[in-house]
Amino acid sequence: MEGFLQALAAGLLIGAVYGLMCVGLGLIFGVMRVINFAHGDFMMLGMYVAFYLFTTAGIQAVFGNAVGPFIAILLAGPVLAVFGYFVHLALISHVSGTRTASLEGEGHYAQLILTLGIALILQNGGLIIFGSVLASIRTPLSSSAWELGPFFDMSIFINKARGIDAVVSLLIMTLLSLLITRSRIGKSLRAAADNPTAATYMGIDVDRAHRTAFALGSGITAIAGGLLATNYPFHPFVGLEYVIVMYAGVVLGGMGSIIGAFWGGMTIGLVQQMSTLILPTQLQNAAIFVVFLLIIFFRPQGFFGRMVERT
Amino acid sequence: MLRIEGLSAGYSAKAVLNGVSINVDAGQFVAIVGPNGAGKTTLFKTISGILKPSGGGIFFNGVDLLAVPPAQRAHLGIAHVPEGRQVFPSLTVMENLEMGAMTESGRRDWAANIERIFEWLPVLAERRGQFAGTLSGGQQQMLAIGRGLASSPKLLMLDEPSMGLAPSTADFVFERLIEIRRQSGLTMLLVEQRVAEALESADHGYVLEAGRVVLEGNNETLRADDRVRKAYLGM
Repeated sequence: MEGFLQALAAGLLIGAVYGLMCVGLGLIFGVMRVINFAHGDFMMLGMYVAFYLFTTAGIQAVFGNAVGPFIAILLAGPVLAVFGYFVHLALISHVSGTRTASLEGEGHYAQLILTLGIALILQNGGLIIFGSVLASIRTPLSSSAWELGPFFDMSIFINKARGIDAVVSLLIMTLLSLLITRSRIGKSLRAAADNPTAATYMGIDVDRAHRTAFALGSGITAIAGGLLATNYPFHPFVGLEYVIVMYAGVVLGGMGSIIGAFWGGMTIGLVQQMSTLILPTQLQNAAIFVVFLLIIFFRPQGFFGRMVERT
Repeated sequence: MLRIEGLSAGYSAKAVLNGVSINVDAGQFVAIVGPNGAGKTTLFKTISGILKPSGGGIFFNGVDLLAVPPAQRAHLGIAHVPEGRQVFPSLTVMENLEMGAMTESGRRDWAANIERIFEWLPVLAERRGQFAGTLSGGQQQMLAIGRGLASSPKLLMLDEPSMGLAPSTADFVFERLIEIRRQSGLTMLLVEQRVAEALESADHGYVLEAGRVVLEGNNETLRADDRVRKAYLGM
């Protein structure tokens, strides 16, 4: 019982960060329908940017080991958003948005190959620049815990770093969903995704809307990556481990739904942690995909996917 | 207000429009009629910038439209109610109307516009929280019209508002359009296959066939023309 509660707590905490990670891709893949296989590598860059901001750029010296990492991680978001903006401007915009009309398969084939190419460049470029040694954003909070309880005679231990990671994820998620559902920009992004032609008739610059979504999605996933890096060591190829999980989360939550992508990521985090109760840890990822298949079998549109046809 | 001169356009090699010239004066209600495939929708897409013409010019209040990027044309005061309605299915009725009001004038006049739109098209007020994708065809058409009006346009372009609607619904949509026009005096350019209704309510009409203007004139001249009577009015 104690083990179960502990795994549940761990699952909820990691799930919140996975959720944020999936939301970043959800904006690009779910809402804008652009395939980005380099998204895991954008996250890897986010981890390194947070790492270097913390260590070399002096944030550690000014803010210390407890607050410093989180400031560096939050700053990595805007850095990667700018990076994503220019990658879209220079490369992705040629195979997405208003250009898709003249491309086969809505530009998806071209996006697939282009972003796989970008992924290879980032991975191997990362290897040259950052080296292959494992890095991590170290904070004393990663190795201390809050004790919850005792409930009856059991206590649950919450790793402090993971606890803060989860709270930061939830805050950003809340801000983002307000932006998407309430603000003018958010609504015009959804309109541009729904019907690019009609959005143009409304005076919405569809390519710029796509670029905004791409930048936002890159920045969000970078922050999620930085949060993960407080507990998990990383290396230039770390994106590969996460990108499949991200796609699974987005599809699980339902294409086009930001809230759905978050719950998709949360489900994956929970399954991953809970499966360790009954399965060897090597099978964690296998368990994720067994559950994924089961859910998709019974609910093919995902948790929040709507069966409204897109015109 | 809108002046189209010798416009030619088409898809890759196939020319759809061949030297089309059309003039819409401020306050006028102009109808363009003609059979399927005459190039009516292509003409509208070219005005809105979704298609690039191969020749000719389009001027809106003296501005050379071809030099204006497509997404900027709405901001000049052109509202396009597209063929097949094309509402945003995953946005609510209210959010669809807000998208119509992305232009500066639309934002400025939002409160007054929305009041008038709800008065003209009360079904939109009833359904304001509903996703547009779940509306019926007629309701979607009214939403598309309301969305166009929400931008405070100088020119409202309507592409086959009766398309795919039951005859009684189409009649109702027409009746609403005429009422809106009567109350607002808005300049309208209508493309329509329901020739009788279109010519009856318009001040001026053009007959488009195979990408060319074959006939033009005011509503009485056109309705008295033998060719129009035989081919379109069934007389």
